[in-house]
Amino acid sequence: MSESVNGVVFFMLAFATIGGALMMLATRNVVHAAYWLLETMLATAGLYLLLSAEFLALVQVLVYAGAVSVLVLFVIMLTLRRRSDAIRPFEPGLGGAIVAALFLGAVYLALTRFVAPAVEMPATAPGVVEFGQIMFTEWALPFEIASLVLLVALVAAVWWSREGEDR
Amino acid sequence: MSGLERLIPEGILIAGAIAVLLSGGARPSPRAGVGLGAAVAALSAIAALVVGTGEPLFSGALVFDDMAVTVRTAIGALSAVYLLWLSAQEPGPERRREAAVFVLLATLGGMLMASARELITLFIALELGTMPAYVLMGYRREDSRGLEGALKYFLLSMTTSLVMLYGMSLLYAASGSTAYDAIGVADPGLLGVFAVLFVFVGLLAKMSAAPFHYWAPDAYAGAPAVSVAFVSTVPKVAGTVAFVRLAAVLMPSVPELGVVFAVASLASIVLGNLAAYPQSDVRRLMAYSGVAHAGYMLLALAAATPAGYAAAVYYTLAYAVPSMAVMLVAAEEGTAVDDLAGLAARRPRHAWMMVAFLLSLIGIPPLVGFFGKLYVFLAAVDAGLVWLVVVAVLASVASAGYYFRLVRSMFFADAPEREAARPGALAGIALALCLTATLLAGAFAGELLGVLGLTF
Repeated sequence: MSESVNGVVFFMLAFATIGGALMMLATRNVVHAAYWLLETMLATAGLYLLLSAEFLALVQVLVYAGAVSVLVLFVIMLTLRRRSDAIRPFEPGLGGAIVAALFLGAVYLALTRFVAPAVEMPATAPGVVEFGQIMFTEWALPFEIASLVLLVALVAAVWWSREGEDR
Repeated sequence: MSGLERLIPEGILIAGAIAVLLSGGARPSPRAGVGLGAAVAALSAIAALVVGTGEPLFSGALVFDDMAVTVRTAIGALSAVYLLWLSAQEPGPERRREAAVFVLLATLGGMLMASARELITLFIALELGTMPAYVLMGYRREDSRGLEGALKYFLLSMTTSLVMLYGMSLLYAASGSTAYDAIGVADPGLLGVFAVLFVFVGLLAKMSAAPFHYWAPDAYAGAPAVSVAFVSTVPKVAGTVAFVRLAAVLMPSVPELGVVFAVASLASIVLGNLAAYPQSDVRRLMAYSGVAHAGYMLLALAAATPAGYAAAVYYTLAYAVPSMAVMLVAAEEGTAVDDLAGLAARRPRHAWMMVAFLLSLIGIPPLVGFFGKLYVFLAAVDAGLVWLVVVAVLASVASAGYYFRLVRSMFFADAPEREAARPGALAGIALALCLTATLLAGAFAGELLGVLGLTF
C-alpha cells in the first residue's frame, strides 16, 4: 500500500460527495433529492475504496446505496399523492444557518488541534479475509447482539402488519 | 471458550423469548404465553444471581462485577413482576403474547447494557433494549394519538442514538480504541471534549433529563399505560448503569462533565417537579416525575465519587419499583387522575398500596425512596455540592404536592358509579411484590449500596 492516495481521484470523489450533498439540500423535488443522496453515498463508497477499505465500500454500496435509498424512494412514492406534491419549498432558516456555522467552527477548531493517538498501523491494509476473522472472533458478541436486534425488527414487522384481535 | 456460563441468564432469555413467540402455534391462550414469559424472566433473574461475579468476557467487553450482578438480577426480577401482572389481565391488552416477547428481549438488552464496558457492545445492547420499546409504545395501532406518541419516541430516540454514536466514533478517533480502559486515560483535547459531550447529551436525552426531556411527556401520554409502565422503568435502570460506567471512566479526563451534570440535575429537579403539578394525566405526571428523578440520579453522578456512582444506581432501582407499580395501577384503573377517584372505596387494598408507592417516590422513611434520596444527598454533600442538595431537598418536599393529588383523588374525590376493574389474583400478587420491595429494600440499603460501591 502506498503512503499517499491518488490526489486527482480523491478530489473528484470529494467533489462528488460534497456536491451531491449540497445538491440534495438545494433541490426542491424530493425524488431528485433522493437520487442526489444515492449519488453522495456512491461517491463515499468510492472514497472508502480509495483508502483500501474494500469491505466498508461494499457495505456502503449494498446497505446505503442499495437498501436505504430504495427505502427512501419507496416511502416517497408511496406517500406522495400527486406529482406536484414532490416539489417542496426550500426555506433555509437563519437559526439553522447559525447552528450549522457554530457546529462547523467547533468541528474545525477541534480537528485542527487534534493530535492523532499513536496507534500502530499494519504494514499492509487488511483485506476482507482478515476483517472476517476478527469480526467472528473478537467482535462476535456485538455481531450476535445485532442479530437479536434484527429478530426484534422482524417480529415487530410481522406483528405490526397482522390483522385481528388476539387477546 | 470458558466462562460462557456467565451468559446463562441471557441464554435463558433468548430461548424463552423464542419459546413464547412460538407458543402461539401450540397453545391457543396468549395468557399462558405471557405466564411462560414471566417464568422465563424470573428464571433468568435467579440465574444471574446464582452465576454471580466473574472474570470479564470477550476481552473486557462484558464485565461481571457486583454492580452487574445486582442490576442484572433486578432487571430480570422487575420484568418477571411486570409479566406476571400482564398475564393476569382479563381481558388482556391486544396481542400480549408478542408484547411478552418484546419485554423479554428488552430485558436481555438491559442485562447486556448493565455488563457492557466497550462502546460498540454498549451501543448495540442499547439498541436491543430500546427497539422493543418502540413497538410497545405504538401498541394500539388503531389509535392515531398512540401512533403519534410512538413516532415521536422513535424519531427522538433515533436522533439521540445518532448523536451518541457520533460522539462514540469521535472517542474512538481520539483514543484508537473502544474499550473503556483505553478511552478513559486518553488525553482528551478539544475533540475528546466534544466527543464526551455528544455521548452524554445522547445519554441524558435517553434518561429524559432536562433540558432534553421534552419528548417524554408527549410520548408517554400517547402510549398505552401498560407499555409506559415497562418502558419508563426497566430500560432506565440499565441506562443508569451504562451512564455510571461511562461517567466513571470519562469524568477524570474531562472534569467539566461534573458541571454539566450539576446543571442538568438542577434543571431536571426544578423543572420536573414544577411541571408535574398541572398535569391531569397520570402518564404525563409520571413522565415529569421521571424527569425529576433523573435529576436526582444526576446529582449523585455530579459528585463523581464511587459512593455517588453507587448511590445513582441504587436510586434508579429505588425509583423504578414504585414508579412501575403506580403505572400498573393506572393501567388497570384509567390514565386520568380523575379515573383514580373512589379507588379507596372500590379496591381499598390497591389504594393503600398506591399510598405506599407514592410516599416512597416522595422519599418518606422508612421506604426505599427515602434511602435512595438520602444516599444521593450524602454523596453530593461530601463532594461539596451543598447548594444543589438544598434545592433538591426543597424540590422533593414540593413534589409531595402532586403525588398527594393522586392520594386525594383516590380517597376523597366523589367517584362516579363504575364497575371495579377485576384482574386476576396474580396482578395483585405482582403489586404486592412491588410493595414488598418498596418496604424492605430500604432496610437492606446499606448492604445493597456496599455491593454496588465495591466496583468501578
